[in-house]
Amino acid sequence: MILQNAILPDILLVLFPFIVLALRIFASKHEKLQWYAANIVLFTVFIWQNCLMLGNTQIYLSNWKIDTFGIFMREVFVLGSICALWFAKDYFDHASTGKARLKEFPEFIATMGFATLGGVIVVSANDLITLFIGLELATIPMYALTAWNKKDSEGSEAAVKFILMGSAATAFELFGFSYLYGFAGSLNMPQIATEVAKNASSPLLWISVLFLISGVGFKLTLFPFHTWAPDVYDGAPTPVTALLSVTSKAVAIAFVAVLVFGPFAAVQQTVAPFLALLAGLTLLAGNLGALKQSKLRRFMAYSSISQAGYILVAVLGPETNAKFAIVYYLFLYTFANYLAFFIFGIVGQNRKEDFVSLRGLSKQNLTLAIGLVVALMSLAGIPPLAGFFGKFHLFFAAAETKHYALVTFAVLNNVLALYYYIQVLKAAWIDKPEVEPCALQITCRQKAAVIILMIGVIACGFVPMLANNLFAGLKF
Amino acid sequence: MLQQILFNLIWIIPFLTVLVCVPIANSKVALLKKIHLCSAGIVLMITLFLATNMILDYAPYAGGNAFAMSYLTDFPWLAAISAHYLVGADALTILMLVLAAVIIFTGVLASWRIASGHKVFFGLLQILAASVYGVFMSFDLVLFFVFYEMEALCMYLMIAGYGTGDKDLGGKKLTLTLALGSAMVMAVFLGMYVEGGSWSVFELANVKLPENFQMWAFPVLFMGFAVSSSLFPFHFWSPAGHSAAPTAVSMFAAGVMMKMGAYGCLRIAMYLMPEGAHFWLPYILFFVIFNVCFGPFIAMRHKDLKFITAYSSISHLGLIFLGLCAMTPVALRGASLQMLSHGFLTGLFFATIGMIYGRTHTRDITQMGGLMKIMPFLGVGFVIAGFAGLGLPGFSGFVAEASIFIGSFQNEGTLFRIVTILAILSVTATAVYILQTANRMLHGPVTNPHFKELTDATFEEKIVIVIFVICLLAIGLCPAPFADFLDTSIAPIVSNLTR
Repeated sequence: MILQNAILPDILLVLFPFIVLALRIFASKHEKLQWYAANIVLFTVFIWQNCLMLGNTQIYLSNWKIDTFGIFMREVFVLGSICALWFAKDYFDHASTGKARLKEFPEFIATMGFATLGGVIVVSANDLITLFIGLELATIPMYALTAWNKKDSEGSEAAVKFILMGSAATAFELFGFSYLYGFAGSLNMPQIATEVAKNASSPLLWISVLFLISGVGFKLTLFPFHTWAPDVYDGAPTPVTALLSVTSKAVAIAFVAVLVFGPFAAVQQTVAPFLALLAGLTLLAGNLGALKQSKLRRFMAYSSISQAGYILVAVLGPETNAKFAIVYYLFLYTFANYLAFFIFGIVGQNRKEDFVSLRGLSKQNLTLAIGLVVALMSLAGIPPLAGFFGKFHLFFAAAETKHYALVTFAVLNNVLALYYYIQVLKAAWIDKPEVEPCALQITCRQKAAVIILMIGVIACGFVPMLANNLFAGLKF
Repeated sequence: MLQQILFNLIWIIPFLTVLVCVPIANSKVALLKKIHLCSAGIVLMITLFLATNMILDYAPYAGGNAFAMSYLTDFPWLAAISAHYLVGADALTILMLVLAAVIIFTGVLASWRIASGHKVFFGLLQILAASVYGVFMSFDLVLFFVFYEMEALCMYLMIAGYGTGDKDLGGKKLTLTLALGSAMVMAVFLGMYVEGGSWSVFELANVKLPENFQMWAFPVLFMGFAVSSSLFPFHFWSPAGHSAAPTAVSMFAAGVMMKMGAYGCLRIAMYLMPEGAHFWLPYILFFVIFNVCFGPFIAMRHKDLKFITAYSSISHLGLIFLGLCAMTPVALRGASLQMLSHGFLTGLFFATIGMIYGRTHTRDITQMGGLMKIMPFLGVGFVIAGFAGLGLPGFSGFVAEASIFIGSFQNEGTLFRIVTILAILSVTATAVYILQTANRMLHGPVTNPHFKELTDATFEEKIVIVIFVICLLAIGLCPAPFADFLDTSIAPIVSNLTR
C-alpha cells in the first residue's frame, strides 16, 4: 500500500518548512494560519510514522536508508518538534521577564523544521556525505535560533560562542570523515563496515575514530567538550534551550549510534573503554556542575550534560538492546524535559528564571508543583516514574556486555543527581517565599501540555506498552 | 483465586486511594482522613485474613531450597529485559506484610492531627505503603527494585515538608543515603541477571552464580541493603532523619523501612549468593559490633527522645545483623522474629514519643518530669515499649533476642562467641538508658507548670497504643506458632547456605 511507503512522511517533512514559509508569504494576514498548518503537518507526520510497518529496511537512491531504528528516531524528533512548537507559542504571544516578546513565529517554525529534518537525514544516511549534511542541517539552524531575539545581547553572545565551538566541531568531524574515506576508499557505510572488519588495527582508522568522537563530543556535550553548553543554554531564548537540550541531543546520540552500530560495528568493543571513560567523566562533570546552580536554565544545561552521559552508557551494549534503550530513553527524556520546561516557562513568565522564583509553588498551584516532582524525579530516575525504567534499560544494555564498573559508577552518580533535583523540589515545596509571589497565568494550551506530559512520564514506565512495542519493533 | 486477587490488591489499594483523592479539595480534611483510614484498614484486614489462612494450614518444611509459596502470580511484564510481574507470599512475607499494614494503619491514626497539607501528606504516606508492600511481595528482582527505590520519591518531601527541627538536612541525609544503598543494590542486580540469566529469585536460587562474581557482588549488595537498616558505617542517616521526621514517617522508617534492608540481606543477598556470604559475613561482623555495642552507650548520652530511640533502633537492628552473620537456623529465625518484634516495638516507641512531643513541644528529657501523673496512658505505653525493647520476658523482644543469642553462640567461630557475649552484655546498657529515660520523663516532680494543663491520650491515640501492645504480647506470649511458621521460610535459606 502506498501509505506504507516510508519515504512519504519524510517528503512531507521536507516540505514542512516551505509550507509554513509559503503561508507566511501568501497569507500573511492570517496570523494563526501558519500555527495551525504547522500543527497539522507535524501531527500528520507523527501519526503516519506511528502507523508505518516495522521490520523491513527500505533503501532509496542507494543512500537513503529507512530502518526501524530510523523510524523510531524520526518519531522522537517529530515529537520534540511538536513539544517545542507548543512551548514556543507563548514566547511569541507575550513578553516574559527580562526578555522581549519574540517575533517572526513562522520563520521560527520553519527554522526549527529544518533542524528536525537534519535529524531525520542523520538517521537515514547510508553514506558519509549524507550523514555530514544531516548533522550540519541539524546544527546550523540552531545557531540562528539561539540568536532569535536580536536585541538581546546575551543571546547574541551565546550564538557567537555556539558558532565558534560548533564550527570547530564540524572541522573535527570532516577531518575524521576524510581519514575514514582514505582508509576505506568508499563513502558508502556498509562498504566501510566491511573494510573496518578486515583491517581493524589501522592507525588511519583510529585517528578518524578519535576525531569523529571529539567532533560529536561537542554536539553531545561530552566532557571535556561540554563547556559551551551552560552559556548557550542560558543565553538562548527558553524554547530554544528546550529544543537544544532534547532534539539537538537526540540528533547527536543518533549520530553516535549510527556510526557505532554501522561502520564501526566490528570495533565497538575496542572503542568501548574510550566511550566508557567519556561517559563516566561526562556524568561526573554534569552532576558536579549542577550541584551549585541557582539559575533554572543553567541548571537544566548541566542536568542535560549528565543525561547525555547516561545515554552514552548504553552505546556500549549489544546492538538491539542499546538501540532500544536509546530510543526508549529519548522518548521519556523528551516527556520529562519538556514537562520541566513547560513548568519553568509558566513560572518564568513574570518572574526571573531562577530557583527563588519557584518558592511557594506548592501553595499556589498544586498541579504544577506535582508536575515538577514528576518531571525532576523522572530525570533523576526514581521509580515508578518513566525515567527510572529508561535508565534501567540504558544500564542493562551496558551490563549485558559486562561493563560493570561503568554501570556501577553511573548508578552511583544517580545519587549526586538526586541531590540537585531535590534542591529544586526544596525551592518549590519547602522554602517560604519572601514576598507574596505574583499570580501565575496559565493558558489552556499550557495546562493541557503539562497534564499530557505528566501522564506520559508516569505511565510510560511501568505500563509496558511503549517499551514492549519499541522492543518488538527493534528485535526483527 | 479470590485470595490471590486480594493478595495483589494489597499494593494496588494504596495507589487507588491516591487516585481517588486527587479530585477532592484540600479543605475537605475529614473526608480525606476517612478515606485514607478506610483504605489502610481494608489493607490491614486483607493481610490479617491472608495471614490467618496461611498460619492455619501451612505444610511443615519438607527439604529443598524452595519457599512454600502461596498466592503466586506471574506474568510477563517488560519484554526488553524479560522482567516478570512475579509476586507471592511465604511465611516471612506475609508476617512482614501484617507488620507493614499495622504500621501504616496506626501511622494514619497517629497523624490525625497534622496541621495542614493533608492531601499531599496522606497521598505520600500511601505511596510509601505501596512501596513496602511491594518490596515484601515481589520475587522478581526488577519489580522488587522498583518498589524498593520508590520510597525515595516520598521521604524527602514528607520529612522536609512536615517535620520538625533541622528537617531539610535530616530529609536530605535520609533520602540520599538510602539512594546510595539502592544504587549499590541496582548495580548488583544487573550483574546477577547477566551472570544468572534470570530476574526471578526462585530461578536464581538454583543457579550457582560464579564465585568471582559473588566475591565482589555480595559485599556490595549486602551493604547496599544494610544502608537502609542503618548498619555502621551507614547509620548516620537514622538519628538525623528520625529526629526531623513527623511521627508517622518515623514509625514507618524505623518500623518497616529499616526491616526492608535486613529482609533484602536475608532473602536476596544470603539466599542467592551463599558462597559470598560464607566468605564475607565474618568480616561484616566487625561492623555489627559497632551497632550492637556502641548503640546503647550513645543512646545513654543523648537527651533528645527521638535520638535515644534512633540509637536504640540502631542497636536492635545490630542484633538482627548478628543473627544474619551467625548463619545458624536458630539465629536466622531469631533475626526474622526480631524484624517483626522490633517493628512493633519501635512503632509504639515513636508513636508515644510523637504524642508526647505533640503535647509538651519538647523532646528534651531533662525538661520533662512527672508526666506519668498527667498522661498515664501515654506514660504506660512508653514504659511498655521500653520493657519490650530491653527484652523483658513476655514481650516479643525477649523471644527474638534469646533466639539470636542462642543461635549465634551455636556458631563455633571464636569471634562469634565473643561478639555474642558482648551483645548480651550490651542489653544491660539498653536497660540502663531505657529505665533512665522513663524515670526522668515520667516520674519525679512536674518541672514545667504548663505541663499540668496537658491532657492524656485521645481516643484514636489509645487505639494506636493498644494495637501495638496486643501485637507485642501476641508474639511474646505464644511465640511457638510464629517461630514454626517462620521456619518454612528460613529452612530453604539455610539449605542454600549449606550447599
